[in-house]
Parts: sequence; C-alpha cells; structure tokens
Amino acid sequence: MENDKNSQKIVDYIQNFARKHSLFVLAYGTGCGAIEIPATMTSRYDAERFGIRGAATPRQADVLLITGYLSTKTLKRVIRVYEQMQEPKYVIGFGSCTINGGMYYDSYNTINGLDQYLPVDVYINGCMPRPEAVISGFVKLQELIMAGKANNGEKYRENLEHYRSNQKKIIKNWKMPDYNW
Amino acid sequence: MEDLGLKIFGAILTTFMAFAVGMTYGGIVRKLTARVQNRYGPPVYQNFLDLLKLQSKKTNIAHGFMGHMAPVWIIIAAVTVLMFIPILNGNLWFPNLSFHGDLIFLLYMMVFGSLGMALGAGQTGNPNSAIGVTRGLSQMVGYEIPFVLALVALMIQYETTSVQDLTQIQHETGVWNAFANPFAFLAALLASLGMFRYSPFDIVGAPAELASGPVSEFGGKYLGTMMSGGAVFAFIKLTLYVHLFFGGAGNPDDSGILATLIGIAVLLLKTFLLYMVPVFYGWINPRYRTEQAIRYFWGWPTALGVIGVLWAVYLN
Amino acid sequence: MTDLLKENKLLDAITTSFKIEGKVIRDHRVEVNADKNTVSSILLFVKNQLGYIHLAHMTCVDWIDQGEYEMIYTVYSPVDKITLFVKARIDREKPIMENIDTIWDQANTYEREMREMFGIEFPGLIGEHDFILEDWDQIPPMRKEFDTHKYAAETFFTRPGREDAKDVREEINKRSGAKVPDFAKKYSRE
Repeated sequence: MENDKNSQKIVDYIQNFARKHSLFVLAYGTGCGAIEIPATMTSRYDAERFGIRGAATPRQADVLLITGYLSTKTLKRVIRVYEQMQEPKYVIGFGSCTINGGMYYDSYNTINGLDQYLPVDVYINGCMPRPEAVISGFVKLQELIMAGKANNGEKYRENLEHYRSNQKKIIKNWKMPDYNW
Repeated sequence: MEDLGLKIFGAILTTFMAFAVGMTYGGIVRKLTARVQNRYGPPVYQNFLDLLKLQSKKTNIAHGFMGHMAPVWIIIAAVTVLMFIPILNGNLWFPNLSFHGDLIFLLYMMVFGSLGMALGAGQTGNPNSAIGVTRGLSQMVGYEIPFVLALVALMIQYETTSVQDLTQIQHETGVWNAFANPFAFLAALLASLGMFRYSPFDIVGAPAELASGPVSEFGGKYLGTMMSGGAVFAFIKLTLYVHLFFGGAGNPDDSGILATLIGIAVLLLKTFLLYMVPVFYGWINPRYRTEQAIRYFWGWPTALGVIGVLWAVYLN
Repeated sequence: MTDLLKENKLLDAITTSFKIEGKVIRDHRVEVNADKNTVSSILLFVKNQLGYIHLAHMTCVDWIDQGEYEMIYTVYSPVDKITLFVKARIDREKPIMENIDTIWDQANTYEREMREMFGIEFPGLIGEHDFILEDWDQIPPMRKEFDTHKYAAETFFTRPGREDAKDVREEINKRSGAKVPDFAKKYSRE
C-alpha cells in the first residue's frame, strides 16, 4: 500500500519491517518437498534467525508453502486452507511441479501450474530445492514485502471470479463454504 | 491529589514495565534455547516484532462475542493482579494497593485469565480448543495444590496474609524465606514448573499438540493480545515469587530516583535467575501427558508442601 | 550354479495337483500360469499346505493387443524364501475376478485400487468406490487406450516454454551473469 503522505509512509515502513522479520509458516506439507522443511528449520540451516517459525493452524499463519505437486484432491483442501488465513498472506511455490508440472506434467491427476488457482508470490525451483535455495526464496519474499508488492491476498479477493472459474473446471463436486473475510 | 496523580502515573509505568520485561525475557529465552541447540537464534527483540506483525493484520475473523472478550479478560486479569503486587517495597512511584488478605485474593485472580481463555475457546466450536482447554484446566488442578500448600505454610509461620508483611518480615529478620522454610520453597518451585508452561508441562499450548490447543482459532489481533498477556503473567508470577521467598527488592525507606533504579535492577536480576529454573529444566525434557503431569504434581511436590506446613506449625 | 531343488519341488507340487504349467525363472523365483477359476484354490493350497503365508503384492497387466488383462499374485514363504507368482488371464471387455479378501485381509486395498484404475469387478468387495481419485468421470485411467497426455493437456493449463527444454542452471547463470564453476562443468549438457 503506497501512499503519498509521509506519515503513512512511516507507518507502512514499520509495518512492513515487522511483517518481513516475523513470518509464521503453516506446518502443512502438501507434497514430497515437505522433506526439506525440517532440514531448513533445524540447527544446520537455521531459519529461525530470520524470524520464521512454524504455526499450527491457518488462522495463525502468514505463509502457505505448497511443497511440490498438487493432486486435484489436495487442491480442494488447500483452497479451503488458503481462504481461512488472514490477510496479508503469502504463497510460496516449491519445486518445479508448481511452475510447469515438473515430472508429473502428463499425469491425469496433478495440476500443471499453480498460478491459475492461487496467486503466488515466489517460486523456488529445484526438485527438491536445497535448504540454501529455500532460504534464498524467503529472502526474496522479504524483499517483496519491504517494497510493498506482496498484496496477493487483495488480488485474490478482487479477482475471485477468475480464480473460482479455474478451480471449478477441475474440481467438479464443489461443496465448499463461501469466501468471507 | 498529587498523590493520586503519582499513583496513576505509577500504575501506567508498572504496566509498561511488566509488558516490556515479560516480552524481553521471552526473547532472551528463545536466544538461549537456540544457542543450546547449537544454532544462532532470533534477535532478542523478536517477540516485539511478532506482536507488531500480528497487530497489523488487515482482516479479522471473529467467532462471536466471547471470542472478542477472551483476550480482554486476560489483559484485565493481568493488570488487576499487577496492581496488587508490590513491585518495589513501599516505593511511592509504584502503586501499592495491598491490604490484609491480599495473598488469598491473588490466588483467585490469577485463575481469572485462564477462565477467559476457556470461554473464548469454547465459543469457537473447534473440538481442538475444547480438548486443549480441558487439558490446561486439569493441569492447573495439578500444580495449584503444592503451590497453595507452600503459601499456607508461609501464612501459618508468620501469621499474616499480606504480601507486603511477608516482605517486611524478611527485611527485619534478615533471612530469606527460601531458607527459613525450605520445604515450602521447594514445593512452590516445583509448582512453578507447571505455571510457566515449559517442558515437560507444555502440552497445553505446543503447536504439535492438537493444533496448539486453546489458541487454535485465534489469529491476528487476538493472538497478539494473548501472547502479550502471557508475557505479563510470567513477569507477575516471577515478581510474586521473589517477594515471597527472596526478600523482594527495593529499599522501603528511600524513594529517590537512584534507589528506585537500583531496586528495579535487583528485581530484574532476581526474577531472571528464578526464570532460568523452569527454562533449564525444559531444555532437557520431553513432554508429559496430562495424567502423568498430575501424578507428578500430587507426588513429591505435595509431600514437600505438607512437610513445609508441619515445619511451620511445629518448629516455629 | 546351485541346483534349484526347492524351486523344482514347489513347481512339481503345484503342477501335479492342478494340471497347469509353470516354470522356474531363477533361484528364488517361480511362476505358475493358472486358469482364472482356480486361482483362489491354488492360493489357499499354497497358503495352508506349503507355507506361503505372505501375500506380497497383487497387480494387473493390460495386454491390449491380445484383449486380456493378466492378474499377478505374488506370494512369499519366509521359510523357503521363494517368491511365487500366480498369473491368470481375464477378459478385457467385461473383467470380473474372484475376491480373495477372505484369504488375506490386505487384498481389500489392492482390489479397490484395481476396481478404480482398471475397472475390474470383484463381486463381494466391500469398500467405498472413491479410493484415490475424486469425482472421476472418464474411463479407468490405467487402461492403455486412455491418453493421459491429451487429457492433461486439455484439463490443466500448460505454461509455455516447456517444449525447448533448456538446462535450468545454465539459463539462470546466463540471466544473472554468473558463471558455472569448473567442478560443476561435467554436469552441463553442452
């Protein structure tokens, strides 16, 4: 949120500084990339010095990590989890399966690109990315937050029709609660 | 009139000091835990950044009236108890609303905050919250018994129920209560392991247990308020322990700026050293289940408390 | 070459009782080709009489040119340490196979998977129809006439740029101006 007044700029600066140095990551491993998360969080490649810690429920979390492929069954649940989080919220796509389908690009059950169903901030490529790559992805997210460009929660809210039509093409039995924020 | 103004100023000062000290202690503990685990940790002011981030969430999801009330009740309980504990002995800057019988009053008021959290968690309708709340209250049944026995031992020994008087008596006799009635002190120390919710008694709020129990449906501003309430409560309990067992801090005869600062420094040192006991014990222990925790508390700590009461009755 | 005494003894025991063919592939591997109606009696026989008490796996192969499915049951004996394959062919257009749920309990899961992926009916199989796939309305996806590539290209959105398949590391280095270090050059494609 950029604004012209100087006082708003100072408030934004303080808020973004606090947001970038304290990221709560939802402890939810959707795919095979979740095996790199404990390696990143523990003693050798310590992610807690950046302020990153695990959160238990989507109500407490900021960042949703989509680690790897998403089958259509998981996509329905991930959408529900994403809509329960509070703004500002960020999505990080791990691995090449979220970018263009990866090794499962011709499978009947996995989606090919995450961008059509959820707004994504940062992609980390690799199969699986090493912990150094994961940390560099988080640093890129911190730069985006500081510049004020990580507003994808609003983007999802405004383009809800577009994302819903994409999601309903794949999920045929749509029995989910409405998105209320 | 200016006395009243001074007291109101002192009340606001106390609240801010308790909040700042509680959050900083949390940050120091996180840093020390990281160093013990052979890694660098977050900076010491990390808890403040967490609180700022939580308060700057743009949307709020609430579940009804009790969900709004739960964090408010915790803050009310924390501030009320804070007003009744003498931070520095007889100092004119800090409010001192103590009266005869305030020890029993404090025991009851400290439970008020957990009641607020239980009601708020019950409103959300999440079964995880309900199970977490029952676990927390069961554990509280466990550790309250040795704690109350220790306090009863002190009350019998000195025939007073006022925190201020107990501190005064320690000043006059020159012997800390920790050595005057060591069994009561040991019982209260072991009960404090359950109060601060570090391992092995952290089954209530740990993220891996039932999606963090009672706070599982709170996010954003509510979670920030609960975290700061928890920090203030930690400082309150530490100060109460220091005043009951370690002679308090501050000089009752002198209320100048220098004496106040020295008193605050001594208080911070004593509370930090006392805080290290549950923290150290927590670094090396896994988690107890609820029935194991209650069985632990009704074992040796209760026995020590009973011996402390007998010591107070027969040897004095 | 070790003499395959136990394997040959096993093969003789089965082929003389049931009048079917089989062969010893190598040591610790024996296969038997059975008729689809006698599969459960063979399995009960080897389980109770010969000590092959462990059902290791159960799968199906699609022979589209011959118009048949081939069911393969893999059983193992921890005493003799021999793996026995029992193979049976069923018709591809209307596949119906016996339910061996009562002999081994774990066959329930394998049979549910085959009901969903191949379309084989197992009369008497109790279990929900939606096993792995949710709301699936096409033909069973493991059949060879199901073109999975075409289905994926139609249903899911493909990001352009996949066709030229450049090397990821070289591209990133080119774009950011860095160089591939010498010790990593042996993994380059150029």
